[in-house]
Amino acid sequence: MIDYEFFKAPSLKEALEFLGSHEGVKAIAGGTDLLVDIRKENARAKGFKYLLDISGLKELKFIEERNDCVAIGALSTHTMLVESPVINKHFPLLASAAKTIGSTQIRNRGTVGGNINNASPAADLLPPLIALKAHVKLRTLNGERKLPLDEFLAGPYRTNRQSDEIMTEVCVPLLGEGYFTNFQKIGRRKAMNIARLNLAVVLGIKDDTVFDPRIVPGAATAYPIRFGKTEEAISGKRIGDIDPAEIGERASEEMISATGVRWSTPYKRIALASLVKRALETIFREAKANE
Amino acid sequence: MSNIEVTITVNGTKHRLMVGPKERLLDTLRERLHLTGTKEGCGVGECGACTVILDGEAVHSCLILTAQADGSEVITVEGLEKEGQLHPLQEAFIKHHAVQCGFCTPGMLMSAKALIDKNPNPTREEIKTAIEGNLCRCTGYEQIIEAIESATRALESR
Repeated sequence: MIDYEFFKAPSLKEALEFLGSHEGVKAIAGGTDLLVDIRKENARAKGFKYLLDISGLKELKFIEERNDCVAIGALSTHTMLVESPVINKHFPLLASAAKTIGSTQIRNRGTVGGNINNASPAADLLPPLIALKAHVKLRTLNGERKLPLDEFLAGPYRTNRQSDEIMTEVCVPLLGEGYFTNFQKIGRRKAMNIARLNLAVVLGIKDDTVFDPRIVPGAATAYPIRFGKTEEAISGKRIGDIDPAEIGERASEEMISATGVRWSTPYKRIALASLVKRALETIFREAKANE
Repeated sequence: MSNIEVTITVNGTKHRLMVGPKERLLDTLRERLHLTGTKEGCGVGECGACTVILDGEAVHSCLILTAQADGSEVITVEGLEKEGQLHPLQEAFIKHHAVQCGFCTPGMLMSAKALIDKNPNPTREEIKTAIEGNLCRCTGYEQIIEAIESATRALESR
């Protein structure tokens, strides 16, 4: 049996005070992952004494464009991402990724901060946010630190969040000129779909040549990471000289070198290669159309 | 485990309740307020049978602790009928045979209501997206989509 005391935080300050003065606190935002884990008595949800409800903290619910980045409050819902003009303008892949999460009911409730902090290997926002080089802000009673999202993640369902910290926002740096983005996902069906595989690709194209490629598959490795070798294979290459199918194969090899051969490998090897191919072809087509 | 005092407004009526830390909004609606129109299907946010409208948005009442909903406004399927008059969505569900076993119907109606409250003229695709989290094993969905389409027309001509 999972048992706990419930405390609803009326403000961020009080939430931080509670975290700073109690041991064994679990924070709950939208609850779309956590309440399922609690109900199923999942080991991931065990070992806490207090449930700290931060879902009512309106100050963490915002999406705003700043000078060099878009700041997304940690309690912004997936629906907010889907509907936000700022997100759709600057990071359409993030809106596409959010659109594929769960169902309308889940997107109305589930939060960006929750998706990141739950750190599921199949989290749909992690690949696009890593590919966009997002930073996360973590607040304590005494201060604040900012670190790259890929350094915040520590493993499947594990992060480097300290027990007295609350994630307040995610900062996504604006992309400069010449960048293209794409998000791909496959699952068993369209709605209520936990990704079997997903993929975010961000890259720049100048004079027909690829620069700054970022390729991040999700649910392919223990937790989403950039596929550096695959990125190298296209960096500095002319798009006419890149064979998307071959790069797809290369990504699959990079996945297998990270995970070893697993029960799902025969499927994922082919599926990831196809997703990479599809994403690159889409981006190259857009680049041509933009010329 | 100590109980928590919450105030929630359900279908326009304010309730002050002491609830347990694990009590879900679904439990409160069904067991305490005896509003059994809201159904429990899967209990883990997959089927949508427990859908209610919380502060204007369709949500799973099985994935919200009542303690989290303190101060909120909830509409359940019982809140659709007004003074003996069915809501146009309910009329349309009957007319279009969008109900067979009926278990998914309250959730479908609430997802549909949340949609048309925000977007009175939804496209077919928007209707499908609004009910993508509501499973129906009888109708094949077609009649439900038709019912929602016709209800939006009925509401428009009012």
